Amino acid sequence: MLKKYISIMRGAALAALTLCGASLPAQTTASGVINGSLNNTNGIAIQFDSDPSGVTLGAAGTNAATANFGTVSAFGALAAGVTRPSVTAANFTVRTIFDVQVVSGGLTSTTYTLTANLAAAAPTGMSYKVDAITLTTASQTLQVNGAYNTDIAHNLDLVILTAAPGAGGPAVNTPITATINFTATAN
Amino acid sequence: MHRGIEQFTRSEVWVCDCFDAMNCNSNFGGTKGLLMLSCMLCLFVVNAGAQSASGQLSITMNVQSSITLIFQNNPSVGTTGFCPLTNSGTNNVGLDFGTAAFPGSFHTLACVNYTHLTSATYEVSSAFDVVVTKANSSSPNYRLAAQISTPPPANVAWLLNNVTLTTAGFTTLDTADNYATPITKTLQVQVKNTVAAQPLLETITFLATAN
Repeated sequence: MLKKYISIMRGAALAALTLCGASLPAQTTASGVINGSLNNTNGIAIQFDSDPSGVTLGAAGTNAATANFGTVSAFGALAAGVTRPSVTAANFTVRTIFDVQVVSGGLTSTTYTLTANLAAAAPTGMSYKVDAITLTTASQTLQVNGAYNTDIAHNLDLVILTAAPGAGGPAVNTPITATINFTATAN
Repeated sequence: MHRGIEQFTRSEVWVCDCFDAMNCNSNFGGTKGLLMLSCMLCLFVVNAGAQSASGQLSITMNVQSSITLIFQNNPSVGTTGFCPLTNSGTNNVGLDFGTAAFPGSFHTLACVNYTHLTSATYEVSSAFDVVVTKANSSSPNYRLAAQISTPPPANVAWLLNNVTLTTAGFTTLDTADNYATPITKTLQVQVKNTVAAQPLLETITFLATAN
């Protein structure tokens, strides 16, 4: 009877030691989670790039670029990147080429429509064309199926009357400026 | 996740949990249909707001007055005294008088006007037109001058409308020619019979200056 009691007590003591040993190490691990979230929205952006055949744009690669034709005349020399595709008795045309790139993201649209308009009425003796479309202050469609993420070249023509200043022609030896607004809309 | 309509908050309905709406087993009868309708309206609204981007291209330039000069065949070209120009219509043309000699009034081109000026000098001549055009200029007319590029051999003279040309500088031909109007000029070569046989070549530069 005593032997049995001792045996039971030994077993109980061994079990207590075993359990005690398991709980001895301090707590050295921790866990957590990060609940990440992102709202991937859609959109498009337009930028103007210099074309290898045209003038070097100011602020190329942005949506607010400048194109300087330099000094132009019906018969004189022209700046690099400017050509004179036609001269008639009434007018002459000087041309440069620029690129438009429209970048898209998050859209199922595969093409875009490009429109343009003059920000203000054309100066006296001047008219502005993009891809042979004479621009006005009203928006006009230039392209209906522009591809995204690639440079697309466009002709920019300035048609200048040959008449003298004061007789319908433009002012001479004076900077003449104009701004063209472009809008790309996802199809 | 399928939820009954009663579980949607106001904002959840507004964003249209369409997937749920199409698949939920709502117990609200026609409510599912209404929800799907509102989802379709939402999609319509999304499509109506097409994505667009805008940019501005500013253009600058400076117009300058200019004039240009070209040579062209006279309307009488081909007849005596009006030989055809090569490269007519440009500012760099050729005018060939062919071969000529003093004895026997010899000349090979019928279009050349051949004359014995004196008992020892002959002249060949041919006429052509000069056209000067202006653009963006209020100039009323222009001056025309010319010069030869190299001194001719002794006893040879090059003339335009009887004005002898030199290499010393531009010789004025006209003081007030009209723009865009053909001005007929006659190029003459006078050769004395003592001049040795040789090619006679000359480049004549014309200069138009706006008045």
